[in-house]
Amino acid sequence: MKKLLLVFLLLSSWTFLHAQNRVTIKGTVADTAGADLSFATVMLLNPSDSTLVNFTRADDKASFTFKNVKNIPYLLKISYVGYIPFQKYLPASTTEVNDLGALPMRMINTELSEVVIKAARSTLSFKGDTIEYDAASFKVPPGSTVEDLLRRLPGIDVDADGNIKAQGRDVNRVYVDGKTFFGDDPKAATKNLGAETISKVQVYNEKSDQAKLTGVDDGKREKALNLELKEEFKKGSFGKITVAGGTEDRWASRGNYNRFNSKEQFSIIGYGNNVNETGVNWEDYGEFKGQSSFSDRDNGDFGFQNGGGGYYIVMDGDGPMNYFDGRGFTENYGGGLNYNFDDKKSKFNASYFYNQTELTLDQTGFRNTFTPQAAFLNTDTLSKIDFRGNHSLSTRLEHNIDSNNVLIVRASGRYNKGDNRLLQDQLFYGDQTLIRGLEMDNQADQESWRVQTSAIYRHKFKKKGRTFAASAGYNANASDGQERLQSLNRFFEATTFTQQVQQLNQNQNGAQQIKSSLLFTEPINKKWFWETFFNYSDNRNLVTRRTTNPLDENKRVDSLSVWFDNQIGYQRAGTSVRFSHNGANISAGLAAQQIRIGGKYAVEEGAPLLVPALTRDFSNIVPYLDLNYEFANNTWVNASYTYSVKEPSLTDLQPMPNVTNPAFRVEGNPNLTPARSHDLNAGYGFWNSANQSSLHIGGEFQRFENQITYNQTIEVIDSIGFRTTSRPENISGGFSVGSYLWGSFPLIKTKLTANISGNIGLSNTPSFVNSVRNETSNQSYGIRPGLNLNLSSTLILGASADFGYSNIKYSIQTDQNQEIYNYGLDGSLRWQLVSKTFLESNLNYKRFKNERFNFDQSVPIWNASIRRIIGKANRIELRLAAFDILNRRVTITQNATQNYVVNNVAGTLARYYMLSASYNLRGYEIKLKKNNHW
Amino acid sequence: MKMIQKCLFALLLIGSIQALSAQEQSMAIRYVVTHNWTKKMAAVDYISKQERERMSYIWGSRSEWSSYTNLFMDGQRSKYEESEEKFDDDDFGYNWRKDPFFISRNFEAGTFQDLLTVQGKPYLISDSIRVQDWKILNDMKEVAGHVCMNAVLYDSVKMQRVVAWFALDMPFPGGPERYYGLPGLILEVNINNGGMIIVADKIEPKILEKELELPKKIKGKRVNETEYQEVLKKFVADKRKAEESPFWGIRY
Repeated sequence: MKKLLLVFLLLSSWTFLHAQNRVTIKGTVADTAGADLSFATVMLLNPSDSTLVNFTRADDKASFTFKNVKNIPYLLKISYVGYIPFQKYLPASTTEVNDLGALPMRMINTELSEVVIKAARSTLSFKGDTIEYDAASFKVPPGSTVEDLLRRLPGIDVDADGNIKAQGRDVNRVYVDGKTFFGDDPKAATKNLGAETISKVQVYNEKSDQAKLTGVDDGKREKALNLELKEEFKKGSFGKITVAGGTEDRWASRGNYNRFNSKEQFSIIGYGNNVNETGVNWEDYGEFKGQSSFSDRDNGDFGFQNGGGGYYIVMDGDGPMNYFDGRGFTENYGGGLNYNFDDKKSKFNASYFYNQTELTLDQTGFRNTFTPQAAFLNTDTLSKIDFRGNHSLSTRLEHNIDSNNVLIVRASGRYNKGDNRLLQDQLFYGDQTLIRGLEMDNQADQESWRVQTSAIYRHKFKKKGRTFAASAGYNANASDGQERLQSLNRFFEATTFTQQVQQLNQNQNGAQQIKSSLLFTEPINKKWFWETFFNYSDNRNLVTRRTTNPLDENKRVDSLSVWFDNQIGYQRAGTSVRFSHNGANISAGLAAQQIRIGGKYAVEEGAPLLVPALTRDFSNIVPYLDLNYEFANNTWVNASYTYSVKEPSLTDLQPMPNVTNPAFRVEGNPNLTPARSHDLNAGYGFWNSANQSSLHIGGEFQRFENQITYNQTIEVIDSIGFRTTSRPENISGGFSVGSYLWGSFPLIKTKLTANISGNIGLSNTPSFVNSVRNETSNQSYGIRPGLNLNLSSTLILGASADFGYSNIKYSIQTDQNQEIYNYGLDGSLRWQLVSKTFLESNLNYKRFKNERFNFDQSVPIWNASIRRIIGKANRIELRLAAFDILNRRVTITQNATQNYVVNNVAGTLARYYMLSASYNLRGYEIKLKKNNHW
Repeated sequence: MKMIQKCLFALLLIGSIQALSAQEQSMAIRYVVTHNWTKKMAAVDYISKQERERMSYIWGSRSEWSSYTNLFMDGQRSKYEESEEKFDDDDFGYNWRKDPFFISRNFEAGTFQDLLTVQGKPYLISDSIRVQDWKILNDMKEVAGHVCMNAVLYDSVKMQRVVAWFALDMPFPGGPERYYGLPGLILEVNINNGGMIIVADKIEPKILEKELELPKKIKGKRVNETEYQEVLKKFVADKRKAEESPFWGIRY
């Protein structure tokens, strides 16, 4: 008996084990009316997380079988087009074959099924007894309310009074993001909320109020509706404000505030300071302009452009950016408003900005000038106050008429007002003796305005790759100004003799430009394209300068007064072929261009012409070649050749001299012809992403057939002493070579990176000095190695050095040859001391050396700051900063060209300490950023 | 053990496909692949919320670009590759070099061969087809004329949440990129909330000649799937440590 029992037990446990091991699951799929649903998709899911375990498809008789699958619990899921997905929990089977029999699927009601089947991209989902609608799939006109949206949803009815029914039953509750919206009236939300704010509509059954109140489920269910708000539609705003005060009467404040929703961006920005921040920085400017910061389609000058297109920051002339060159003291104020609209079809931007800067500059320097026969030195001490204020307004509209037609219209205007006063003292030495002193007191004020408009239209034809574009633009500007020039010339050798000169200039300038371009691209096949373009522009400039002499009854000075009417016409027609395939992009083309210069010159308008009216034509055929090739392994090369023809500038053409300083006269030359040069450009780069190293090398070579240089005539005029007159003239010959290198190599991965950059420049510039041809050869070399060390996530160190050397040689006076050295060392530290406290410091050492003039000066600058972020949301930042702790800051510029060498030292803001407090709506980051790139 | 289970399932999967699609005709599917780098950046974990918001505030709709890809399939095999066709004429005709790339599947034999580039270095990955851990959801929508259901997958190596939409009426377990193993052909894939969206826009029957064949000579390091995942893991870990985008240098 016992044995029998054992056998029975064994047997049953065997079958039990066997049953545990493998099972066959089968069934048939039918609809609620009993009709077979052939070829339905049948899936076995893991019930805990819905992971797909197995699937099959019902056969033509609507039956399915999973043979020999593991006997564990499953979630059986069946889907069939037009039916609500069927789901059933299957516990582990006790039998070898688990026959589920007929499994009924419910048809989605007719309206719903139409939505599922027909409507493009509509989404419906089923979560238990909740039906979820994807609001974006149901198009409603802009400005519609949620009620309008609901009317479009299948299965939902809204009557004239706004009462809602879902699946035939009244909806008594409407929630927004799961919360009651303004009390109990379900219509409050649906009538007031905009349809575009909603991402999902959910309809579900809810226990009745009675049941909720008593906790006794009475089994009654009411329909409820939940409206889920779009993530991005949750309107946002951000902004920050900083106020700072310091020693030496230093102060600064800046702030910006932005509001946005999915289509619109509005921002306001303002600043004021006396710490030499003349404008906003890139980061703040980007936030101010928002989506209109970048544009890739605004260039209407078609033809011979390199591939790639690319984004660039849109700047309207000298925009409100920080441009301080390091010299002097400035007091600055500015502010602006920006509005962007973008609904994918149209983009619109309007922006206004006002900025003003007052510069106070004191500078000392010297200039060594030489002629084939002699040399002289002069010191130069100047003091200047310069005020500028600008109002600028700009608008841009980009409208996608349809997928094949785009129109871009831009218009901007600018008004500028400025005045300055310059006091300048120059002492002239010959052979170490003081010969002469020149004192000048010049004052000027000017008002100017500018308008720029342009329109670009692009059309894509049905044939892929065939495109047409047209652009047109009108620009105009005008200015009105006055200059009062006074100079006193003292001669130390003839002790009694001084000379006083006074001039009053009334300047009125006006210019207008009309331009237009056309472009047509025709694909020859998938890899070859043919482009044809035409450019036209017409510029007219009117310049009036009336010079009078206050010392001589304000009589007009004919030798300095001028009226001229100048026209430059430009036309270019060109064609090119382009090959583009798998990283090879090659263009070659030819263009015929014509530059027409016309000019009339007189002492004043209506007076007899000083020289016969000029009209000159310059016609050229210009070739063009551009090669770009990307090898595998992230290596690329590019090369290009252009023949460049550039018309002389307006000031160069002006025939009358400009004499703001009697010792330095600048003349114009109405006989100038366009500058012509052969330009070659080449580059090589690689990026090894495996070890994060990269290298770029490039160079450009320019050989002048004809260039415009300023020839110098230095003569001794009895009443002035040495007088330098420079005059632009065409000279053949000369070249320039520029090359650069930039590389970055990791020494210890993610910890220590080395980078190096360098440049070499060689040039040969001919010019005439007192009618003797002088060849100035300039060799300059620069190299900048650097290291970046990420010691930890809380300590980042940087070190770099730079070394610059220039060797300038003159063919007329070899003893004037110069060697200029600039050295620099820079160390920086960023340290997160404790979680919310940061220490940042930077030490920069620069040395300037010119042996020929015994000039050798070192400038060490040390800055340090400590800041602490305060508050739960990290919104407040307090910062104590010390600038130029060693109190050594000056700005030095060294420059040598043609026949003179200039060296200037300017005073600027030195040591001060500043305490600042900032508030940021978004909060400050509590970490050091390792990279500034994305 | 898990491995064996997966292989077993793969075999089952293959068996069921064979049965289902013996009579299926061969097809060509064109997908539009749209990249959005501000959305890719939004999924990167070392960047603060402020910075992400700033990026999308400034770049907004200008951070997208699209291209075409093709999937060729007969009942048992598929091959996915870049299309020669240009998506847009607006980029001034510039043609970028494409990394060597294909994804080929043989569901009949249960094997695959993929050519993928990591940091400029090509890898030829050959292995048997394994199961992807799809979770089936309940949403339905129509893509290119076919009613689709959705499923999600989390790629823990590339840190991507993948939402796929598979056709209920096209019983082929393939799809674009390296996604497969659902009861229907995958017609749409959305990675990391719009960082990259792949949508079928043209589905046509096509008599395939050489479309499914692989090039005779393939340059690339021969690896299996485990080795390839190791390469990816190391790449992503290094990039995150350096706080650099972990998606430039690999196929997203």
